[in-house]
Amino acid sequence: MGQIEWAMWANEQALASGLILITGGIVATAGQFAQWYLGAYSIAAGVLICLLEYPRGKRSKGSTMERCGQKYLTRAVKVFGPLTSNYYIRAFLHLGLSVPAGFLLATILGTACLAIASSIYLLAAIHGEHWTPIETKPKERPQVGGTIKQPPSNPPPRPPAEARKKPSEEEVAGVPGGGPQENPMPVTDEVV
Amino acid sequence: MAVSWRSWLANEGVKHLCLLIWLSLNVLLFWKTFLLYNQGPEYHYLHQMLGDTVYSSRGYTVGPCCLSILHIIVCICKSQTPNPSLAHSSLPWQPQVCFLSLGLCLSRASASVLNLNCSLILLPMCRMLLAYLRGSQKVPSRRTRRLLDKSRTFHTTCGVTICIFSGVHVAAHLVNALNFSVNYHEDFVELNAARYRDEDPRKLLFTTVPGLTGVCMVLVLFLMITASTYAIRVSNYDIFWYTHNLFLVFYMLLMLHVSGGLLKYQTNLDTHPPGCINLNGTRYQNIHLPEYLSEHFHESFPGGFSKPDELTQNTFVKICMEEPRFQANFPQTWLWISGPLCLYCAERLYRCIRSNKPVTIISVISHPSDVMEIRMVKENFKARPGQYIVLHCPSVSALENHPFTLTMCPTETKATFGVHLKIVGDWTERFRDLLLPPSSQDSEILPFIQSRNYPKLYIDGPFGSPFEDSLNYEVSLCVAGGIGVTPFASILNTLLDDWKPYRLRRLYFIWVCRDIQSFRWFADLLCVLYNKFWQENRPDYVNIQLYLSQTDGLQKIIGEKYQALNSRLFIGRPRWKLLFNEIAKYNRGKTVGVFCCGPNSISKTLHKLSNQNNSYGTRFEYNKESFS
Repeated sequence: MGQIEWAMWANEQALASGLILITGGIVATAGQFAQWYLGAYSIAAGVLICLLEYPRGKRSKGSTMERCGQKYLTRAVKVFGPLTSNYYIRAFLHLGLSVPAGFLLATILGTACLAIASSIYLLAAIHGEHWTPIETKPKERPQVGGTIKQPPSNPPPRPPAEARKKPSEEEVAGVPGGGPQENPMPVTDEVV
Repeated sequence: MAVSWRSWLANEGVKHLCLLIWLSLNVLLFWKTFLLYNQGPEYHYLHQMLGDTVYSSRGYTVGPCCLSILHIIVCICKSQTPNPSLAHSSLPWQPQVCFLSLGLCLSRASASVLNLNCSLILLPMCRMLLAYLRGSQKVPSRRTRRLLDKSRTFHTTCGVTICIFSGVHVAAHLVNALNFSVNYHEDFVELNAARYRDEDPRKLLFTTVPGLTGVCMVLVLFLMITASTYAIRVSNYDIFWYTHNLFLVFYMLLMLHVSGGLLKYQTNLDTHPPGCINLNGTRYQNIHLPEYLSEHFHESFPGGFSKPDELTQNTFVKICMEEPRFQANFPQTWLWISGPLCLYCAERLYRCIRSNKPVTIISVISHPSDVMEIRMVKENFKARPGQYIVLHCPSVSALENHPFTLTMCPTETKATFGVHLKIVGDWTERFRDLLLPPSSQDSEILPFIQSRNYPKLYIDGPFGSPFEDSLNYEVSLCVAGGIGVTPFASILNTLLDDWKPYRLRRLYFIWVCRDIQSFRWFADLLCVLYNKFWQENRPDYVNIQLYLSQTDGLQKIIGEKYQALNSRLFIGRPRWKLLFNEIAKYNRGKTVGVFCCGPNSISKTLHKLSNQNNSYGTRFEYNKESFS
């Protein structure tokens, strides 16, 4: 079980628990249970948890699959800095959020699931993991002609650079002097 | 080109038909159970206890607002069928008292759907059984064999259904718990799960056997489902594997859960029809609002119970002979899940016993591009080309098992079989370090001296895969991407041995790689095969095309001695449409089996092209293995 990344699993669990909390909260407030305000609380807590957990963190090795449309939330979550990237804080936040929902029957399962997610986050934090945002690298435009400094000064056929002794004095009609190319007969420019 | 309906039916039809059958089974089961608990007389009192009272007179309904529409519908349906216990036609404004117990009906209906799916979900995982069915003559039709390819998808579908209906079941039972505690009635002590009025429903949840086991099952299911998502399987397969083995705990809890017997039915319907009047004064009319109805009752019949004939005539109410008796249902779930669970456990046991004996490693060969070949022998090991085995090496990891396709199968003359492993990930790296000490990893074949120090290796299998069918088509197109060539390597080895017993008469073999050195894994095999077919005057039996998809290397030939392959090497990606057209033209009117083992993008393209029409009357049947 060498390099398991617990944070990814904890992230899935927390997202699922957030959804369970929202569902339980809706049932509690719509069904007008006693203490329905706890149902409203769990809807709010569920929404907050879903927003926090939606952007998936970057894996330490290999590529990470992004959730669809997560880059906007990544920017928002990144703003909080160490509050969101430290998993100890996340673990205790989830534990704290789950406690009030445990007093209502409809949301009690959401509490249990969130508590499990918080314990896996604690495990991840102990293993030294932390949340890194997935940054999309700006696409590098291929630089057309970036390495071309000067146009070639010789007409073709061009010998390799080390064989060219005096490139600026060569002309089309002139006999090339000193180069490895020796024309069998003199070449003249036919232009009148 | 337009999708050809014949091709689509051949490729997708049976799969969708099976899905439809499964779906209709689920709907039927749900509906039947819902109606049973809604209208069955033996659940009348339970229904009243767990229901919400609804008075409907020409549509006037009282009840939780979110369910009122459903109430109206059910009441209208009920009013069509005269039900003696519910109609009070003598009262002036003719109210209709309906009890809609959504909690009871939904929980039982979803429980029956869960029964079906919990039993079906184990069957696709009996891999030995499926491999046996694939190879035996008992499943002669190729169409039915192709259904077996979809076993993992079916398993996932059942899993998702279990997840959804567990949610419904839990929500419905939470409402039931609430109703049990609120509607506590002294006349029906044994029917009620609560022990006194207004008992806290959370106590009901945690102190009864079904409640506690139910909560534990939800937590186990939560762990299993969150670890089974695609992202986790691709990145951390270990988490998925270890949590998924908790299914045994889930099934044990399920067996305990249904033994609680909280929901009871009435056994003495003949001597105590529901809703009858007890002459001693106890009213069994309704449990909710005895005060309300009794007022109206007394108004219409000022003489009380002195006119029994009018009573029975006007209200169809009978007189009870004895008290109602209740009994818990026999746990049906035990019948549903015992069969598949025993089958699965028997198979696991059989696999465990068979894989107890280690294999003998004959040789370890190191290939370019991080690939290692292991050749081994084991007595009584038989495998068909295209099958895969699972390797287990305790010296590398005590708990991990990894599947690898066989590249060479044992034959009658030669008992050696082999696998090719690509070194990616920590298990394969550690395995390679154990087998090939770092100093000699560059050389091709290991000296004989090292063979005595090999670690113990256990194998499990062989398990079937769709690639076994490539020998059963007259014409097959096999497309491999990178290391995905391994299932086809075993097919080629088999053809090298003897090609006549099989139905295959022409094989198109397309191999796409990124690195030119990768072709050297099987270059020898391909050349030997090519030469053999030339000698036997069947040069068009195997048509090889090798593609090098990334061309940053200057090297354009595989090796000097592989001239047959060098002339068949193309730079760039294959053009699938042209290839399909060419194959269709040269094999008019035939059915071509398409097999792909490679990246998803190639697989999707081939699937789409197989469903398309062509003007030569050739049909392409697409076979795919799902890996993750």
